[in-house]
Amino acid sequence: MSDKKNSVNEQTPETVLNQASESAQDTTDYIALREQEKAEYKRQKREDRKREREEEKRQKAHPKYFTITDSNGNEKTIKAPKRKFKLSFGDVIFFIFDYAFFGIFTLSCFFPFYYLLINTISDAELVSKGMINFIPRGINFQNYLALRTVNDLGTSLFVSILRTIIGTALMVFASAFIGYLVTKQEMWHRKFWYRFLVITMYFNAGLIPWYLNMSMLGLTNTFAAYIIPGIVAPYNIILVKTYIESIPAELEESAFIDGASHLRVFQSIIWPLCLPILATIAIFGAVGNWNSFQDSLILMQNSPELYTLQHRLYIYLNTSSNLANVMNQAGSGASAALDYANNGKVIKYTISMVSVIPILLVYPFLQRYFQEGIMLGAVKG
Amino acid sequence: MGKSKTADGMDAEYRKQYEAEMAAKKKEEAENRKILEAKKQEHPKEECAPLFYILRVVSLIAFFLMFIPAANPARISGLISRNLSLFTSAISYSSLISGTGRAFRTGWVSESVFIMLYVSAIIVLVGLLGIALGACLSLGNLKLKRLGVVVGLGGSLIAIIGLVLNYVSYVQMQGASNLDKVAPVFPMGFFIFAGASVIAFIVNLILLFALPKADKNMPYEMETRFRLFLMFLPFALLAFVFCYLPLWGWRYAFFDYQAGDVLSMDKFVGFKWFTYLFENDATKKDIVRVMENTLAMSGLGIATSWIPLVFAVFLTEITNKQFKKVVQTFTTIPNFISWILVYTVALAIFSTDGFINTFAMNMGWISSGTNYLMSDSGTWLKMLAWGLWKGTGWSAIIYIAGIAGIDRQLYEAATVDGAGRFQKIWNVTLPGLIPTYMVMLLMAVAGCLSNGLDQYLVFSNAMNKTHMEVLDLYVYNLGIDGGSIPLSTVIGMAKSIVSVILLFIANSISKAVRGESIV
Repeated sequence: MSDKKNSVNEQTPETVLNQASESAQDTTDYIALREQEKAEYKRQKREDRKREREEEKRQKAHPKYFTITDSNGNEKTIKAPKRKFKLSFGDVIFFIFDYAFFGIFTLSCFFPFYYLLINTISDAELVSKGMINFIPRGINFQNYLALRTVNDLGTSLFVSILRTIIGTALMVFASAFIGYLVTKQEMWHRKFWYRFLVITMYFNAGLIPWYLNMSMLGLTNTFAAYIIPGIVAPYNIILVKTYIESIPAELEESAFIDGASHLRVFQSIIWPLCLPILATIAIFGAVGNWNSFQDSLILMQNSPELYTLQHRLYIYLNTSSNLANVMNQAGSGASAALDYANNGKVIKYTISMVSVIPILLVYPFLQRYFQEGIMLGAVKG
Repeated sequence: MGKSKTADGMDAEYRKQYEAEMAAKKKEEAENRKILEAKKQEHPKEECAPLFYILRVVSLIAFFLMFIPAANPARISGLISRNLSLFTSAISYSSLISGTGRAFRTGWVSESVFIMLYVSAIIVLVGLLGIALGACLSLGNLKLKRLGVVVGLGGSLIAIIGLVLNYVSYVQMQGASNLDKVAPVFPMGFFIFAGASVIAFIVNLILLFALPKADKNMPYEMETRFRLFLMFLPFALLAFVFCYLPLWGWRYAFFDYQAGDVLSMDKFVGFKWFTYLFENDATKKDIVRVMENTLAMSGLGIATSWIPLVFAVFLTEITNKQFKKVVQTFTTIPNFISWILVYTVALAIFSTDGFINTFAMNMGWISSGTNYLMSDSGTWLKMLAWGLWKGTGWSAIIYIAGIAGIDRQLYEAATVDGAGRFQKIWNVTLPGLIPTYMVMLLMAVAGCLSNGLDQYLVFSNAMNKTHMEVLDLYVYNLGIDGGSIPLSTVIGMAKSIVSVILLFIANSISKAVRGESIV
């Protein structure tokens, strides 16, 4: 027994490494083991989610039933006792007010978009007379087709789409990678570098120094100005770092003992396991890029071809109600319907719809990620 | 926490087995790790350390100066833009010759000079990158260090060749036919980069002989800590350039600067702009008005910061799940549209030909429309209302989650005690949410000078400008639109510093009261 103990104490780094490499030689076994572990971890998570979903489904299907655990640890589904009290008068009044309040609030959030939509797809004459208030009439898509003749709109749309895709992709990748690096205790002065990033969240030099800095770097009037400054996003890095710290360290360590490099571990362990949080920050990043306006306004003063869609819309909103000057005269034959005095209004609405539709379409499906995002932010600590 | 939650999902037997396995594995690996780390801790002493430090510092400085237009060695003529850095000159020929169209056409200077200049910029760039790469490699083991020295040596040689070419093109530039227009200037940057390259060359040369020979069989290796650091370095540089470097722009606050000027010491005016702020009557009045607006809007925001909380409380009282979901979906959408789209919404509803006016006219209630957006009545309240419309549903999410986290037993106990709906809200829900609310409140107070630019920019017009201009908008109007860069820098500077102080105060209050920091 004591001999054995001694031999353990005598282990030198070399022997450990040798052992590790020896065992790494039966690679198939080892890799299989690691894969199993990873699969196990994923399976657990999957099961968790599945159970939650099932529970929810059951609740929905039989709200009268609920599950309890009895003294033997067995789960039992029992019938809920009938409600003993009827709704009191006070409750009824309360619910009326409660539902009414939220109904009105929801309507106030929904109606403006609906109003914009029906005005853009209704008969132009009725719209110009202000007859379209609740119900679309004479539905047509002339306005959307007429957008082709609005100068520079296509370029702006292209710029916005491009920056949303490139900017978000780079930001997500960088956040994941930096988030991973700052969890590594071995990194040279890790704490300092982490703080170096985090401090930038709470302090900025101000609008004018920022602008002068960008122009000093030669980034004004270049597309790169949309992309490069957004790559390092400290807040997202914190989110990813927190998330990585919640992943069991064993998964990584075993890979290191197998001889994987940091890049390899990042690529095949951290990245796949971080996908949920990466999806969240990707969505926030994409919305931010799509809505961006300030950088276009301040940095692109001499290159209108690089204006983002939001900036373009801002310019249209500020031009006089007659949009004739921004309409391409050559194409006016196609837009005869737009010759009404205040067609400018409708065109503005149409452009707004174009820039809001992506968000309206995407949001309901990805709501979960959005909401997870804010909760993660709250517990970042 | 996450682990225990996932473990619940498995049946008890499997969990036990799994946990035992994991514990054993953990123990074993912890031991291995300890030994490996102990090995890592023994950092061997670096040979010729001071020389390497010089090399690293020089290459870092040279690397940064590559992006600074003031230090561009390729700006050898007045025709070349002042905003061009060495990096831009080397990657984009078109921006290098952007101002030379006339000079080429009239034959003041031949294009070959510029081509030579462009080539020299590329060569210098490549050389500098070589120096930087050599400095990075110097973090490795002896073998890697020697490689780095060779790379650095080559890089500095290339850089020197490039600079010589650069000088030759300067000499040729002096031979231009119209010296007034071409205006050859000898760039300061030339000395900086020449100095850096020569230092790098000498240091690398010394190192080449001073470093002991590496064993032939020695592998190229680098300690993990430096490897990780080198992976991190590009991002650290990015963060430095875009978040720390702007602070360098604060120097404009002490100069008489017009857009397009060059800063020189004879334009140094000390604290002129700081005193100007308080001595010039018009500016003083402006500042008072702007501060009034800023604090009023922030104050209104803080005064109504309880609304999302109430929203969350009453939304959780609703029992119909579908209704709740619809409410949540629609009330959170405005948070994700830009302020410009909010303004479109405002136009569609409140402008002369918007919904309210047309509807009222159709009904015959009014005979002519009024544009509610153009009036200055209640501007502060209107802005508050738009802010609430956009933000309430979203801010409520955090409280909704907070309510979901309150122990159900508390409610049951309260019910048993005979508490009614409002009593439960008052005595159970609210106390549970107050900590979260306090954090939000402190953050709002700390950020009270930053109202943001977008909202006020899009909603402001000639009518309501006096009540709309908050600090951010004022700085924008003054600096970007008005061009008074020093004054707006002073204001921005003051704002940044006060904001940081406020944040510190809020943080220490939070630490004192809750024992937790908020930043």
